[in-house]
Amino acid sequence: MPGRVRKDPLRKPDRPYLALGLEGSANKFGAGVIKHFEDGSTAVLSNIRHTYITPPGEGFQPRDTALHHREWALKVINDCLTKADVSMHDLDCICYTKGPGMGAPLQSVALVARTLSLLFNKPLVGVNHCVGHIEMGREITGAQNPVVLYVSGGNTQVIAYSRQCYRIFGETLDIAIGNCLDRFARVINLSNDPAPGYNIEQEAKKGKRLLALPYTTKGMDVSFSGILTSVEAYTFDKRFRANGQPQNSNDEDIITPADLCFSLQETIYAMLVEITERAMAHIGSKEVLIVGGVGSNERLQEMMGIMAQERGGKVFATDERFCIDNGIMIAQAGLLSFRMGFETPLSESTCTQRFRTDEVHVAWRA
Amino acid sequence: MASPSSSLALISTSTLISQGAEAKVYKAHLSAAPSDPPVLLKHRFRKGYRHPTLDASLTRGRVAGEARALLKCLRAGVNVPGIRMVDAAEGVLAIDWITGNSVRKLLPGGADEDEDTGEDEDESEADAADALQEYDISVDVLMQLIGQEIAKMHLADVIHGDLTTSNMMLRHPASFTSRHPTLRTELVLIDFGLSYHSNLVEDKAVDLYVLERAFSSTHPDSEPLFASVLKAYEQRLGKEWAAIGRRLDEVRLRGRKRSMVG
Amino acid sequence: MMQSYQLPQFPPDFSCVHAALYIDVSDADLLRKRLITASTAEGLTGARERDAVNFAFIEARLITSADHLRTAIYQAVLAAAQGGLRTKTVHSEIIWALNPTNNITEAMRRYGVSDTTSALVVVRIAGPELLPASVEADMDAVVTGTKASFAALHDLTDWPAVKKYYKLGNEAGIRDAKDDPEREHAVVDHIVVSSVAMKSVMA
Repeated sequence: MPGRVRKDPLRKPDRPYLALGLEGSANKFGAGVIKHFEDGSTAVLSNIRHTYITPPGEGFQPRDTALHHREWALKVINDCLTKADVSMHDLDCICYTKGPGMGAPLQSVALVARTLSLLFNKPLVGVNHCVGHIEMGREITGAQNPVVLYVSGGNTQVIAYSRQCYRIFGETLDIAIGNCLDRFARVINLSNDPAPGYNIEQEAKKGKRLLALPYTTKGMDVSFSGILTSVEAYTFDKRFRANGQPQNSNDEDIITPADLCFSLQETIYAMLVEITERAMAHIGSKEVLIVGGVGSNERLQEMMGIMAQERGGKVFATDERFCIDNGIMIAQAGLLSFRMGFETPLSESTCTQRFRTDEVHVAWRA
Repeated sequence: MASPSSSLALISTSTLISQGAEAKVYKAHLSAAPSDPPVLLKHRFRKGYRHPTLDASLTRGRVAGEARALLKCLRAGVNVPGIRMVDAAEGVLAIDWITGNSVRKLLPGGADEDEDTGEDEDESEADAADALQEYDISVDVLMQLIGQEIAKMHLADVIHGDLTTSNMMLRHPASFTSRHPTLRTELVLIDFGLSYHSNLVEDKAVDLYVLERAFSSTHPDSEPLFASVLKAYEQRLGKEWAAIGRRLDEVRLRGRKRSMVG
Repeated sequence: MMQSYQLPQFPPDFSCVHAALYIDVSDADLLRKRLITASTAEGLTGARERDAVNFAFIEARLITSADHLRTAIYQAVLAAAQGGLRTKTVHSEIIWALNPTNNITEAMRRYGVSDTTSALVVVRIAGPELLPASVEADMDAVVTGTKASFAALHDLTDWPAVKKYYKLGNEAGIRDAKDDPEREHAVVDHIVVSSVAMKSVMA
């Protein structure tokens, strides 16, 4: 609430703290080392990631993704420590993603974290993936008390902080935005390298024709499944040209894959900006922070920027290093809660596919 | 021969009342006739971030949707403001101007817009009691009126979508001729901007749950208040209540949101 | 007794409204014939004749209140200013706006002048150059009847017909008020005014 400034319960550290963060809730394995200094400042010592990329038309299966993470874990962690120039012995804690995410990949990373914890006798900190995104976004951008739009392959939420909790004001009622994009990329056979959403964005720049798609916001919630069905249906329309080219010089009334990418982006991002704006009006905030993999989309950032400007506010976004799943965000959120005295005992160092953002006790904020 | 928008010209001479995320609200007069009563103009202004074609069709659809919900309520005998003018192309809806106060302002805790006005609590509660006296109505009767209007609305399969005590008004006795034997005021439901048509038990239960949350976050010791709202709702709804009441209990347990998959 | 008021937000040509209520109208059948002839007459005489009857002639017994009339006028002028008339003129558009369906012929038959009309509302939309006195004189020249205050509308209203046209027989809102005719009329008027206002988005 405006006007009432309470002091953060988090005190400045009496010595520097170091944490390793491990992330693998989806198709990226990431490791990062973060350092918190006595003066309250923070340094990213390293942030390394390896992405499991599947051929066009294919999504990533849990089993294969877990296999990828197991294969790459040690190499990525080693690189990360070398880059940071720290040894495992220097760490104060090992932070890992407890959830939400895909079961098998989460488990393989939790296993790595547990093993390292036992080998080097370091405490474990289980971290909520979404809270990781939010805390890293706040740290990088310096946003004070923003409304957070969290958009990724598995999540679509509008979040705002309230009384030691990241409250979810709006969210998807069915599939996540990234899931919608990924699945559509498969329909039109776009490459998954570097990311399906990135390729949709490039394709959309060539689109001209705005096709009607369902626009489904309900209060501060959104729904994407109907849009996915409708945009897919256009690929069966007799005007659809899969190669994007007219069949002859008279072939003017056509729909191209680029048009579909354009229409899809214009529609779903407008929905997201709308519910974000509603949340901002609701809590009286002028700041908005975009986190999550889809947050690296430039059109989304541009639209959010226009909205924020019209409201006399400001948009904060991070680049792909911090937007897309990474280890450093897990280290950051984990270290914050570690400094408040939180640890995850070995016996409880499980992971969970379902883990709501608002279940986390945000002890480090006032 | 389309000319610069008359609705925008009208807005330029009107008084801005409030600005939300969706729309700006004005007090206006549709004509220069001295006998013309004021109207409330709701302008869904253009959103620069949205593709113009999409923006135009959404705005048109929403103005139409709000107007249809209001008419549906009017036909069903729900107290809502009458419609005075629709300019869907420009995103403008004009409805009757209601003289009175929002229920939020008339109940304890609702007078202070934000928490930090520095007003002391007792004082605002006393203000609220005074205000109700002006309307010659007890808190309990007010709660009954709320329950009745929501029940009538739900019986017409209209879901409000944003039930709060800010979105209900009491007509001021001085500006309203009541035909009720004992009441000098009338409860009016307003702001149907998020409303939709549904006959689902789930949607009605969530509508009530949203109001319950609004009560508890705005008004201290709201439990007995909301209980009497529900009691009047139940009476008016009759046999349809059982299913909605059961669902409301479920919604309370899980919250408005369903459980999240990773 | 003719009422004139301005709609300053509209282009000058549509910015002045003149309206009068005539009761005890004795020659509605002649007026109706005159309207038909005027619409098809050729040459200078035709033009002059159309000018003489350039009004909206509205069946007063179907008007529930001054608000009702004003609302229909507003929506008609709005359509004219936006270039979105569904009928030929802003005057016929008022009559179209009063009828709940999209059928123009039906609107004219119900809400226009008929042989049995005994009370008429006459409306003229004009620019500021046309003085009220001259409009009133033109009205008096085409209608034979007695001018009355718009407050008299209420007693002229044929409530059963209004309820029938707007399909209000079975609505909960009307049923709730059926024991109190005054209240019932107020409810009907309220619904009818709102229906006219939102006709463009009724779908």
